[in-house]
Amino acid sequence: MTLAPQKGRALILVGALASVFTALSFRLFDLHVLQHKELSALAQANREQVVHRQGRRGMILDVNGNPLASSLSVRIVTADATITTPQASAIAEQLAPLLKTDVDSLTQKLSSQSRYVRLNPRVKLDEDAVQKIRAMKLKGISFEDQFVRSYPNGPLGSHVIGFVNAEEKGVQGIESSMNDYLEGQAGYEVIERDRKGREIRALRDEELGPRDGYNVVLTVDQVVQHIAEQELEKAMTEFKPQAAVIIVSRPKTGEILAMSSRPTFDPTNMEATSADARRNRCISDVAEPGSTFKIVVCSGALNEGIVTLNDQFDCENGAFMYAGRLLHDAHPYGVLNVEEILFHSSNIGAAKVGLRMGPARLSDYIHRYGFGHKTEITLPGEVSGIAHPLSRWNNLSITRIPMGHEIAVTPLQMLMAMNTIANKGVRMKPMIVKSIKDENGISIFDYQPQVVGQVIAPRTCTLMTTALRKVVGPDGTAPKAGVEGFDVAGKTGTAQKVENGQYVRKYYSSFIGFFPASDPEISILVSLDDPEGGAFYGGSVAGPVFKAVAEKVAEYLGMEPHPPQPEVAKLS
Amino acid sequence: MMKRNRKRESLRLGTVTKSLVVCVCVAISGLGYVWQKNAIYRLGDEIKKRETALSSAQKRNMMFAAQLAHLESPAELEAKCQEYNLSLVAPKETQVVRLYEPGPEWDIQMANAPIPTQTQPRQQAQVKLQSRNSQPTTLARQ
Repeated sequence: MTLAPQKGRALILVGALASVFTALSFRLFDLHVLQHKELSALAQANREQVVHRQGRRGMILDVNGNPLASSLSVRIVTADATITTPQASAIAEQLAPLLKTDVDSLTQKLSSQSRYVRLNPRVKLDEDAVQKIRAMKLKGISFEDQFVRSYPNGPLGSHVIGFVNAEEKGVQGIESSMNDYLEGQAGYEVIERDRKGREIRALRDEELGPRDGYNVVLTVDQVVQHIAEQELEKAMTEFKPQAAVIIVSRPKTGEILAMSSRPTFDPTNMEATSADARRNRCISDVAEPGSTFKIVVCSGALNEGIVTLNDQFDCENGAFMYAGRLLHDAHPYGVLNVEEILFHSSNIGAAKVGLRMGPARLSDYIHRYGFGHKTEITLPGEVSGIAHPLSRWNNLSITRIPMGHEIAVTPLQMLMAMNTIANKGVRMKPMIVKSIKDENGISIFDYQPQVVGQVIAPRTCTLMTTALRKVVGPDGTAPKAGVEGFDVAGKTGTAQKVENGQYVRKYYSSFIGFFPASDPEISILVSLDDPEGGAFYGGSVAGPVFKAVAEKVAEYLGMEPHPPQPEVAKLS
Repeated sequence: MMKRNRKRESLRLGTVTKSLVVCVCVAISGLGYVWQKNAIYRLGDEIKKRETALSSAQKRNMMFAAQLAHLESPAELEAKCQEYNLSLVAPKETQVVRLYEPGPEWDIQMANAPIPTQTQPRQQAQVKLQSRNSQPTTLARQ
């Protein structure tokens, strides 16, 4: 009698337990078998984390291995502005002095409602500042490591080196043209963290280390660059031109030792620079070259055997009427030979040499020297200049082009033309990258000097050099460009500027020269756009800059003095 | 009865011993596993610490390299020279002694040269000196 209800209750209990266990078993089966794939992936995602490691951007080095640009790992303070918004101004006041920024801009960032804001993208934070910020225990503020580009020389060579944007991508200069080599490759790690957020190293799953970018070695020498920029700066102070450029190169190889233009910029302070200052005028600005272009017509005519250095031309006492237009010389000259035309820089003489040469041959030499074509230097933003095809020449062109009008060239093109004469008629491609090396200094690729072609015969170059030596002599247009102890050859240029289609009383004053003239090692171009203070002739404005740079460069490179040979020895 | 009881007692002891051995083995394996795991984690932590130290040393190295590059920059050196009033100037040409490295022709010449006697080198030197001095005169005469 008493057993029946107990048995019933026991059965109910067993039934209930069996149902519960059946339900649990089914749920377990569902979780472990039926939903295994999705749930295990979710669990793994909760546990594991893929951390990307950025590869360091390669360095830009000068020819002696001195760093011109490198990347530094710095702490970046980041904020989750959705958390910081309520106390934005209070946090900003605490952080502003440590991040070296103003409170207002920081408040704006901290209240931007964005989940990720960088508070100090360009300020290098020292370890003390990091500890101080940590001690503040601010909610929504965290740290991350990031590479920041550093330029140890500041604005030195900034037009060549260029700069990078916030994502460390090259925007200008070598930073841009060699970006593919400089950029590192990111790596990754699959890690697991403990409850404090620290990585459990033993559970690191996969690991692929980042690869640092390659180092780019330039032909530029930072000391030569410094000398060139220092002298250019002095000229800027003395003559106050609108712009100025300087290029130092080796004529035999086409290597660029220094290249700079003014106005300039500091890549460490990009906010304070204008687009105008960032332009590398050596390759991106064109202008009529003026008298420096006479080397093209005279060398062409000598090379063709149309004239000799002793052939005489009547320079019409400074006024020559051709095709109904008058052509003037700066000083009136009577009869001059070709050598005198060059060192007195007679426009009429050059025009008459051009007339004897003829348009077809002159046009041919213009293109052989590379005018109207890019030099293909490894720098972005180069322009090809303006050298009209023969079909677009007018009646006056044959008298105007020989004196450097009706043609527009870049300073680099003009220097490479002079280098051709210095290099026995062999035109070289300008070279600014010497090699690419990995982080251990092992060379990946070595660039070699490249010959573009033979423009004129070596004998013509000897004749041209003889004439160009006299330019820096007492009777030449640039006696101030002479370098003590060295035999210098060069050519001055004073080109009138064109404004609104009219020639105005503003000038491009330039001087291009090389030394030692008998065995050229260095060539230098100096050009100033619209110098002030009365002096505007290339010989008196750019000549002294050439002299100053040449003297210091020769001293730095340990060049042995090479005085002009006595006339008697030369003739023999 | 006594015999049966003794047999039961001896069986129990054996079972207990076996069980104990198994338990001890399981415990040792368990502890060994835990110890091994612990060692792996400890080593992992040490690797992590060294990785962090290496990374921070590399960062410091980068920072020092950049600092050094800045201190060695021509502008900085010039500024320091002026600051300390060092009055450094470049040497004059007369103060420079140039040493010429002979080229490969010199090596060939030396390899083929006879072993000099005591008087030979001086004579050779005199000849060379004379020829060097005579060059400009010859040129001038020409």
